[in-house]
Amino acid sequence: MTQPKRILVADDSPTITTLLRSALEGAGYEVSSAIDGVEAYEKGRDGDFDLAILDQLMPGLLGLEIIDRWHKEGIEIPVIMLSGVDDDRTVIDSLDKGAVDFVRKPFRLPELMARIRHRVQA
Amino acid sequence: MAGIEFVQIAVLVAFGFNVVALVALIMLKAVHRRRMRLHDRRRESYVSLLSRHVAFEHCTDRITPEMAEDPAFLDALIDVRNAVAGPEMATLREIVSRHGVVEHQMARLRSPFPLGRRLRAAVALAEIGDETAAPALMESLDDREPEIRIQAARGLGRIRWTPAIDRIVWRFGIETPWVRVRFSDTLTMFGTKATWPLLAYVRINHKHETEGPKLALRTLAQIEDRDAVKPILEILAESRNLEIQIAAIEALGELGSPGAVPALSEMLTSPHWELRAKAATALGSIGDEWATPLLVSSLRDPDWWVRRNSAAAIARMPAGIESLYEALESSDPFAADAAAEALTNAGELISARLRAGEPDEEANEPLVAYMSATGKAEP
Repeated sequence: MTQPKRILVADDSPTITTLLRSALEGAGYEVSSAIDGVEAYEKGRDGDFDLAILDQLMPGLLGLEIIDRWHKEGIEIPVIMLSGVDDDRTVIDSLDKGAVDFVRKPFRLPELMARIRHRVQA
Repeated sequence: MAGIEFVQIAVLVAFGFNVVALVALIMLKAVHRRRMRLHDRRRESYVSLLSRHVAFEHCTDRITPEMAEDPAFLDALIDVRNAVAGPEMATLREIVSRHGVVEHQMARLRSPFPLGRRLRAAVALAEIGDETAAPALMESLDDREPEIRIQAARGLGRIRWTPAIDRIVWRFGIETPWVRVRFSDTLTMFGTKATWPLLAYVRINHKHETEGPKLALRTLAQIEDRDAVKPILEILAESRNLEIQIAAIEALGELGSPGAVPALSEMLTSPHWELRAKAATALGSIGDEWATPLLVSSLRDPDWWVRRNSAAAIARMPAGIESLYEALESSDPFAADAAAEALTNAGELISARLRAGEPDEEANEPLVAYMSATGKAEP
């Protein structure tokens, strides 16, 4: 039997983490969640994840800062960036820093799930 | 002796009473914390339940009537509604409708409950944004409690319930300033549908009322409907109320229509310095270079504020910087001063370089010379 794919979900909104956890677990993924940037960074450093979904604006560390730190430490986790900030600069910076995708909040859950499926299978 | 004993007993009783009150307060707080913890736990489990319904089309997890009446369920519903977009909203609407969530909150809003509960119902209805709540929200626009009226208007704005526009606009004249401002925010949610009711309100009331029409004009500017420009110009021409005229000029500037430029240019010669100053700023916002020569003339205005605004407006015009450099050579020292200030503000680099003693001579020679000659280049 194959191991379920592991996904890290980090968002300071408990609603978002609960929502994504329920949807992802229901789809057969193994989910770990974090409610701030530091926790997300540490979990990513210590765990073996197939994908991370990071909120851009989190207390402790921003999503972009987490990507930076992981890269410096040689941790290569594909990241889908989530953000409620609707400005092109954030999208461009995220993709420049190596995020594989960017999703604006509020999001369409089936669409986000499809993006996750695509990234995890890839 | 008896007196001393009485005092001792009184002190003991007061102390005992305080201790009992303190213990009661601590217990109440503990109970409240426990209730909130349980509420949050239920809310989290409801978010999880609703998420499964939203994510999986054929989710079989049941939502019972008891759940639907739980305030934690309502909070979870609002949380999920604010987190997702698109077709999931239809799933949530279906859950709301099947479990009578709106009806339950409408009944609470209409009940003689204390304010807290009714306000919670009004906020919930505003957040859920379901059209079936419109009648109750319309009734609540006349509620005795201002916060409930605000939430009712917000809810109607969220569902774009256009029959509410006239009622909300009409209340501009009788509401407190705080409620009026919140109503103004709501009206922007309706977009251009609110333009004509707002214009009609200003037209009818601007001769005998100030605050309502002023805010209505500001709301019109926020809606950004350029169809409002012509009627606002008519109001500007007709009104003798300085505050309303100022609000009209500001609205015209924010709407940014070149059609307003001739009337605003005429305002540059108004006997009221406030109107001249506001007209200069509005012309700068519109940015039509047709007004540049008139603004250059206003650099010689007797009022300092008008000169300052005119120079700032010129700086925003296409080729305005060149006009300001020309004004530096003006024989009128006030005009040259205003131009120098606007040039400095337009390029903070210039003043920074002057302060550092490294003037950018090639680009800013006339300004550097002017600033040095007038002693303004000193740090």
